[in-house]
Amino acid sequence: MRSIEPSIVRAARHVIVGVVVTSTLLTSSPPLVAHHAGTMFNEDETKQLVGTIKEFQFTNPHSWIQVLVQTTPGAPPQEWSIEWGSPNQLSRQGVRPATFAFGTKVTMRVHPMRDGSPAGSFIAAKFDDGKTVGRWE
Amino acid sequence: MKRCGIACVVLLLAAAVVGAQSQSHDALPDWSGVWQMNGGTVFDRATAKGEGGALSRGVREQPPYNAEWEAIYQRNLKLRDENRLPDPINTCGTPAGFPRLMNVPDTYEFVVRPEQTWILTENGPNVMRIYTDGRPHPAPEDRWPTYTGDSVGHWEGDTLVFDTVSTRMSHYPESGDTVLDRTGLVLSDAAHIVTRLRKVNDDTLEARMVIEDAKALTAPWNVIKTYRKLPKGTRVYDYACAENNRNPVDAATGKTLILGPDGKPLGNGK
Repeated sequence: MRSIEPSIVRAARHVIVGVVVTSTLLTSSPPLVAHHAGTMFNEDETKQLVGTIKEFQFTNPHSWIQVLVQTTPGAPPQEWSIEWGSPNQLSRQGVRPATFAFGTKVTMRVHPMRDGSPAGSFIAAKFDDGKTVGRWE
Repeated sequence: MKRCGIACVVLLLAAAVVGAQSQSHDALPDWSGVWQMNGGTVFDRATAKGEGGALSRGVREQPPYNAEWEAIYQRNLKLRDENRLPDPINTCGTPAGFPRLMNVPDTYEFVVRPEQTWILTENGPNVMRIYTDGRPHPAPEDRWPTYTGDSVGHWEGDTLVFDTVSTRMSHYPESGDTVLDRTGLVLSDAAHIVTRLRKVNDDTLEARMVIEDAKALTAPWNVIKTYRKLPKGTRVYDYACAENNRNPVDAATGKTLILGPDGKPLGNGK
């Protein structure tokens, strides 16, 4: 049975969705880490990385965010591989290929790999303008 | 009113019998739209213990396994904790199978026709076919284990009741078999699942599964999965596991790897 929505409610809904998508891409769905490669990431540890985006692989079965992280001053940056979810699901939460554009400065929060390799599973990201993606708080 | 002769009565009766094999279109419920499973990919959330999801160390469920199959599950849990439980999803190319396809992320679509219902999962993707045209299961000598098994069903009002046999989990992780979830749940080749699928309200579909397995379980195992309706206009996309799989399974060690941007494994796979 179709519900009949007053046009003003419909319009308001579009505005609200637009505001949510452009300001804060907070995901409120079940944790995306549930179906990752999983046990190699330490779910009890959160690591914060500051860097710039090298590439956003918006692909199945997992998206990957490649981030250049400055670890030692003067030394070349280290490339981190951050595993995220399927673009099918992420796109339904407002994520787009442009969400992590090349060259963008970003602070990432990840569950790092247990053996210290430069990889982790995505928790959240924060940009210079204060906008966040994922579960920042 | 014209008199209906015997031939007419016979025809009407025959039509009624044929019609009874499949539900008429008018009597079918509306399961249109795009749906998503509630909760994470732990199959039996009612009995799950431990914190986290199916891949979290220490998380397990409590199916009524007999001693032999509980030992198999313990083995799989240990492999899971050591990152040595290969997930068929990581190998890219075999279906999730049933009942696992009732337990995957991303979207579901349910296509309902009088003679058949299809369950389509975006993740995989997977197609499940449930025949409701009155046909029985093939005879045992005409069946063999397949990922999705053989499903036949009927409608009880607004509820689709279907019976699944011939699934393919008993030799996991060998032989390319599938699994129930990533904690390593498995069933034998005697698994027999009866599922009652119905729309509880406009936004919720519910699957009540009664799983029996004469070789692996001491009692029927009841599992309930629910699915919520996503907003109207939600798009479903294709899904290619082989598009950019950076988590292949190392055939030598059984460990799931993480490939770096150069395609080489990162770390030591622990």
